[in-house]
Amino acid sequence: MRIIVIGAGKVGYTLAEHLIAEEHDVIIIDKDDEVIERCTGSLDALCIRGNGANAKVLLEAGVDKANIVIASTESDESNMLACLISKRLGANYTIARIRDPEFNESQMLLQNELGIDVAINPERATALEISRLLRYPFAGSIESFAKGLVEMVEFRAQEEDCFIGIPMKDIAGKIPRLPRILYAMVERNNTVMIPGGDFKILPGDKVFVSGDMMTITEYFRFLGRNKHKVRSVMLLGGGRISYYLSRLIIPMGIHVTLFEINPLKARALSEQLPKVDVIVGDGTDQDLLEEQGLSQMDAFVSLSNRDEENLISGMHASRSGVPKVIAKNSRLAYQEILNDLGLDSVISPQFITSSTILRYVRARENSNGTKIERLYRLVGGKAEAIEFIARKGDSYIGIPLKKLTMKKGSLVSIIVHQGKIIVPFGNDHIEENDHVVIISVESGISDLNEVLYK
Amino acid sequence: MNRKLIIRMLGALLLIEAAAMLPSLIVALVYGEGDALSLLYSILINILAGSAMSFIPRKDQNSHLRLKEGFIITALGWILLGVFGSLPFILSGTLPRFEEAFFETVSGLTTTGASVFTQYTFDHARRGILFWRATTHWIGGMGVLVLTLALLPKLTGRTAHLVKAESPGPSLSKLVPKTGATAKILYKIYILLSLVEFVTLLLCGLSPYDSAVHTMATAGTGGFSRYGDSIAHYNSVPVETAITIFMFMFGVNFALYYRFLIGERLKAFLHDEEFRWYFIFAVGFIILITILNLDFYQGDFLTSLRYGSFQISSIMSTTGFVTYDFNKWPAASHIIIVIAMLIGSCAGSTAGGIKVIRIIVLSKLSRRNIRATGQPKKMDVIRIDGKSVDEHMLSQIAQFAFMYIALVLVGGFILSLGSSYDLTTNLSASLTCVSNVGPGLGSVGPVENYAGYSVHAKLTASFLMLFGRLELLPLFILFTRSAWHKY
Repeated sequence: MRIIVIGAGKVGYTLAEHLIAEEHDVIIIDKDDEVIERCTGSLDALCIRGNGANAKVLLEAGVDKANIVIASTESDESNMLACLISKRLGANYTIARIRDPEFNESQMLLQNELGIDVAINPERATALEISRLLRYPFAGSIESFAKGLVEMVEFRAQEEDCFIGIPMKDIAGKIPRLPRILYAMVERNNTVMIPGGDFKILPGDKVFVSGDMMTITEYFRFLGRNKHKVRSVMLLGGGRISYYLSRLIIPMGIHVTLFEINPLKARALSEQLPKVDVIVGDGTDQDLLEEQGLSQMDAFVSLSNRDEENLISGMHASRSGVPKVIAKNSRLAYQEILNDLGLDSVISPQFITSSTILRYVRARENSNGTKIERLYRLVGGKAEAIEFIARKGDSYIGIPLKKLTMKKGSLVSIIVHQGKIIVPFGNDHIEENDHVVIISVESGISDLNEVLYK
Repeated sequence: MNRKLIIRMLGALLLIEAAAMLPSLIVALVYGEGDALSLLYSILINILAGSAMSFIPRKDQNSHLRLKEGFIITALGWILLGVFGSLPFILSGTLPRFEEAFFETVSGLTTTGASVFTQYTFDHARRGILFWRATTHWIGGMGVLVLTLALLPKLTGRTAHLVKAESPGPSLSKLVPKTGATAKILYKIYILLSLVEFVTLLLCGLSPYDSAVHTMATAGTGGFSRYGDSIAHYNSVPVETAITIFMFMFGVNFALYYRFLIGERLKAFLHDEEFRWYFIFAVGFIILITILNLDFYQGDFLTSLRYGSFQISSIMSTTGFVTYDFNKWPAASHIIIVIAMLIGSCAGSTAGGIKVIRIIVLSKLSRRNIRATGQPKKMDVIRIDGKSVDEHMLSQIAQFAFMYIALVLVGGFILSLGSSYDLTTNLSASLTCVSNVGPGLGSVGPVENYAGYSVHAKLTASFLMLFGRLELLPLFILFTRSAWHKY
């Protein structure tokens, strides 16, 4: 597909990188010379210097033939304008990054009037992600598939977990009371593996399990992880993510203490969020945090504008005994180091935004011929979960999975049959029109027939 | 520095070269003049060396080609192509000495067209070898790395570096988002234009073999002819006119043909500042030289125009075909020829020289400097095609022009060491090599050759041609210490 990306900042750049890897024709528009130079050197894309809201520049980029226009500049107004003009000039589908909460209120109207097909709010998307993490405080990350019917939860295996050291194929036999669940992936030493029958989980491994919500809840209850529900949260920084997050979790009955150093901002927040305890002060001040009861908190989320601050205060909270610590980090590059430091939940708004946008792009592509229903990037892009619909006449239909050949590094993680979730084992089979979720450590799979065959 | 990646890429280049030798082998087999075996051996050696190099295992899966490595691959690649490309000349005995064969191959690849072929060599050269000589022009014109990318776009990531290092002109203009696809389009246009010329020359009465050889030499703006006396051999006005027009056409930025074909039609050319000036320069020089040569041709305007226009088109497009010994022309005409050699043609074409676009920018820069003496506080933006050119690019272009002139002077000095030739010969030889034209003035003039130069001078001239073809920087980078660092 021909995709125009306007604004090659952190989000735009990551997006372009992935789109190029997926063989799309990418055209980048940015008004900064240096950015253009960097992109020309490192991305196989056409790079144009200019304002993305300028019709002339857009026409130069071939907007009339573009399948998708993604506006991801810093400015909401520019993004909206770029989408409006692109649509008028003949672009097929437009995606805009719009972050101001004020615009969000009139989102529907704006979308209809401006020809924006999808509006992405990075802060809101990030807040949503965090709120899910707070729901399952023991989880490093949570993905949901098949319209939310199935979830995949990441957690770190511990010494006392009952499945440690037992080969996969024997777990069900040896621990019959452990709810049957699919071990989708294991990350060890920064490599992601799809566990086979002889695979043994070791303490410290990051385990990804998937199943329907009920089974997952039971599973973690059995492991003894689900004891602590989050009742109180401390937020660092009064930015937009904090705002959205507070609005999302207060109805869940969670008490929020929020630190904001700027008195004016703190006041505004306090006006908008009456139930939140807004503390005016430096959130990196250890004494202040202790005074507000840091060690009694169920969760700590650092969301200030400075990555370093977030990470250090996150580590401090972790040491003070807060069971769940989430830190925001904008730079994707350091993710692996952070895992070594013991910060399990590090989130990056850029990553979340670009994955969200990629999901829409792939959904579009789907209507353009390929068979992918949805696609999720997991573990910092090291693995993918791909949702397909089984088509009539495919060779794997009706044959038990254990009799099929499976592509190496891939796994059938879920089959949704007529709205019913099946966590597949060897005797299960796929029927026509089933939704099938494949997990793979290789990217670029575009057809279910590539993964499963006789 | 990722040595393995570099070696793999270089190996791929040799395989491409082997493929490029195939048509010559076929020609040799068809004519059966006894040169087939030497071509076959050359192909085998290329394949052997190329596959040995390209099967070096990858260090790691996601090895990125860095900017520096792109330049190094380009520089080393061209030297290597010159070395391996000279095999047919050596093995067939046409040019038994390495430095002569290397000179001839590099001259071909860089589309210079300077030759060490004497009349004796021409008389004894066989058609397969001559075909390979012309083929080097054709593949060197659009670029071997560009060809590699067109054929093997998946070879490595970040391919823009390679095209950037090999394509002439201050900035790379991609036609479509993917570098590989851009390379394909460029080659398609190149092939199309070449076919048109081939048919035109056939219609002008040339034999298929002659048409093919001269088409390849024109397309790459090279200038190797089948005959010692070049195009003058035919003494035919239609052939000269056709070649004049095609030489001019191959000096035009190929992006313009693409835009012409996708629907912009003539607007693509008329709205392009560089093309306008290229056209104005060419027409201006033709008029000027026709008038300057009028006395020489005893007032025969048409004869003067005939030889003048062919020669200007040939020199500006840096082809170097000859229809008249311009050594005999008056001194003023020589100056015009030297200026035309310096300017060259458009960026993004197959031609050499400083390039018209840089001349425009430099003129505008000079004008700005003059204005600024009176009004130093005025903000003055330089524009090309209505778009502002950023200051970094301006300084790069100015530095390029300086290095270009400096290289010509230093090259002229080295060529003159121990040679019996005069200033005109040495300096024009240096200029004609750096600008990839071919014939110079004096003893390297249009009816002369470079055989009289010493071994060191031939090697120097070969490198001057490489410097000119790759636009200086890729080769200069080889002389920096940081290029050879392991990291």
